[in-house]
Amino acid sequence: MSDAAIRADGLGKQYGSHWALRDCALEIPAGSVTALVGPNGAGKTTLLKLAVGLTRPSEGSIKVLGLVPREDEAALMPRLGFVAQEHPLHMGFSVKDTLTLGRRLNPSWNDEIARKRIDHLDIPLDRKVGKLSGGQQAQVALTLALAKQPDVLLLDEPVASLDPLARREFLNSVMEAVSEREMTVVLSSHIVTDLERVCDHLIVLSHARTLLAASIDQVLASHRLLTGPRGGDDVVSRVHSVIRESHTERQTSLVVNANGHVYESRWEVHELDLEEIVLAYLGYRALEAAEQ
Amino acid sequence: MIWLGWRLQRTETLIAAALLGLVAVVLVPTGIEMAHAYSTDGLSHCLGFTKGSPTCGDVIGSFEQRFSPYTALVDWFTLLPGLIGVVLAAPFALELERGTQRLAWTQSITRRRWVTTKLGLAVGSTAIVASALILVLVWWRQPLVKLDGRMDGGAYDSQGVVILGYALFALGLALAIGAVWRRAIPAVMVSFVGYFVARIFFDTWLRKRIASPSSLTWRASDRDPLQLFHSWVISEGPSDSHGHFLGHIKVFCAPGQGVCAFPKRPDYMHALYVPASDFWSLQLVEFGMFAGIALALIAFAGWWTLYRE
Amino acid sequence: MIEFHLEKRSGVPTYLQVVQQVRQAVRLGILQPGDQLPTVKEVVAQLTINPNTVLRAYGQLDMEGLVEGRRGVGTFVAEGAAPPPPDDREELRPALQKWINRARSTGLDEDAIATMFDDTLRPPAISRVA
Repeated sequence: MSDAAIRADGLGKQYGSHWALRDCALEIPAGSVTALVGPNGAGKTTLLKLAVGLTRPSEGSIKVLGLVPREDEAALMPRLGFVAQEHPLHMGFSVKDTLTLGRRLNPSWNDEIARKRIDHLDIPLDRKVGKLSGGQQAQVALTLALAKQPDVLLLDEPVASLDPLARREFLNSVMEAVSEREMTVVLSSHIVTDLERVCDHLIVLSHARTLLAASIDQVLASHRLLTGPRGGDDVVSRVHSVIRESHTERQTSLVVNANGHVYESRWEVHELDLEEIVLAYLGYRALEAAEQ
Repeated sequence: MIWLGWRLQRTETLIAAALLGLVAVVLVPTGIEMAHAYSTDGLSHCLGFTKGSPTCGDVIGSFEQRFSPYTALVDWFTLLPGLIGVVLAAPFALELERGTQRLAWTQSITRRRWVTTKLGLAVGSTAIVASALILVLVWWRQPLVKLDGRMDGGAYDSQGVVILGYALFALGLALAIGAVWRRAIPAVMVSFVGYFVARIFFDTWLRKRIASPSSLTWRASDRDPLQLFHSWVISEGPSDSHGHFLGHIKVFCAPGQGVCAFPKRPDYMHALYVPASDFWSLQLVEFGMFAGIALALIAFAGWWTLYRE
Repeated sequence: MIEFHLEKRSGVPTYLQVVQQVRQAVRLGILQPGDQLPTVKEVVAQLTINPNTVLRAYGQLDMEGLVEGRRGVGTFVAEGAAPPPPDDREELRPALQKWINRARSTGLDEDAIATMFDDTLRPPAISRVA
């Protein structure tokens, strides 16, 4: 599957004089599970809201399944599931009422899937949503998104306010759903560790900019930590992109996105795990922003 | 979507129905009592311009006095359309305050359909409740209308389609303010105050200006002119033969007796009035104005909600 | 039935850990030829990992000939995927002990011995970041 489920082109969103997202260009392959990471305020929620049509671009474009989010909403929304950060539900509704809402508002709703999920999670149908725990509410919101059998599922920090067990259960639910039907999933989070075992693609945002958008395999294969005696970073930077550099009196460390093989003999080459790579990108950006 | 709209409007619709129920509890027994007294006192013989026997004046007077506490209470019911309108606007404002519209917008219905269904339900339920209110009030007031007509202030705004206009206006105001402010309780309260102010403005200042009243001058010695029967008298007083009101007439009113005597009997009287036959045209104009503004406010509320994000 | 576990910080990719654990299970006889491996859904439920990772692991094992996938049924341990004869394994431990004694006699301490072993086991050009 080489079609892009989501394609953004020069995408930007401005609130007043503040740009929440700028110059975003990326492609999310169909069938992938993508981690959307970045600090708070980086633009993750904005990107997802643009994808789902809750807000409109100030510049550029975004297409989901080849459709434009607001213009083609009638064609797109049955195929697009979304769980917002606050997962808004009607607190006065019972769980049963909430499922009825899903059934009435979605022609592609599969009630059996919904019932089975709620059953499996031991959530009582007649309990008021406001009386459920945070984890249960998140699961109900997820059920609403999954039972309409979407082709694309967007989750905005769905586990941010949950305890570790509820987090694990939520991600488990998502992965189970992916194993049952072909779905493109985008999961945003400011915690990277959750996502590493679950995602195969990575997008890093910071301060409204897209720093990285690639498959995780590719990221792990191409990023390296180079350590060596002080100096020589200019030579490296001519060939590879240096993401972060740090120097002590005697030593220089560089995190690079290697453009091909690293031949330099003076450098010791180390692999990095995903979290370290992401941190290198975010630290880089924060440093730049602080310097301005 | 209709299911969802009703489900979210359930509580407020019940509140509006309860208000109506409260009204019925007050009006039904008293209305029956009034109708009964009307027939047993033989007031049907006292109708018409030529008010039958001399006892009619007394009978009518005692009838009106007996039921004046009720009429005073019912005068306050003119606030009800406003209350109904703002209550039925609350579900819409509450959704926007809590952000749950975004839940609906990420299901498979279009945003436009969500807005039109919700607003449509609000308008529809307001119309139904207001219409029920009109029916009850018209039924209740029948005896009094037969006696005094319905152009008089207290009767006029409880007798016809204007009530629907008032309710829709209050609804539209609360929807518009709720859409922009996104805080339901304050929006409802501010809108109710706005309704009150608008009503006062219309009642005391605007209505008489749009009514294009007629003028009449007659000899004071003649009996009251036919045109003034059951009409809305805006002003009436002694005048010259050309209809100019005379000022500086000292009127001696004996305290406590409610009888005022002119020192010198005027030659002519002049009146500015709106005849009873203008009732429906006046009602329709007033309804049109309130409903027209309501429509604009509702459309604005819908537009703002759809395009603000 | 085999139960998988994930070592997060081992530096070994997830799919490879699954592969290794299946190999180990076959070696130890926990999985016999003809046994069915857990379904993708079951592994996902156990480990909360991407289903594609499981597919990749099973795909690799299929390529190695250790397992075979039957469409619509599941993934099974292949016939003829025999564990190595126990004799070889019996000899490993004493041989190792001998080597350690020799290393000690050259003056290497335990850490140095462990480092040498590690470097030889995994190619020295790429080392792990601590």
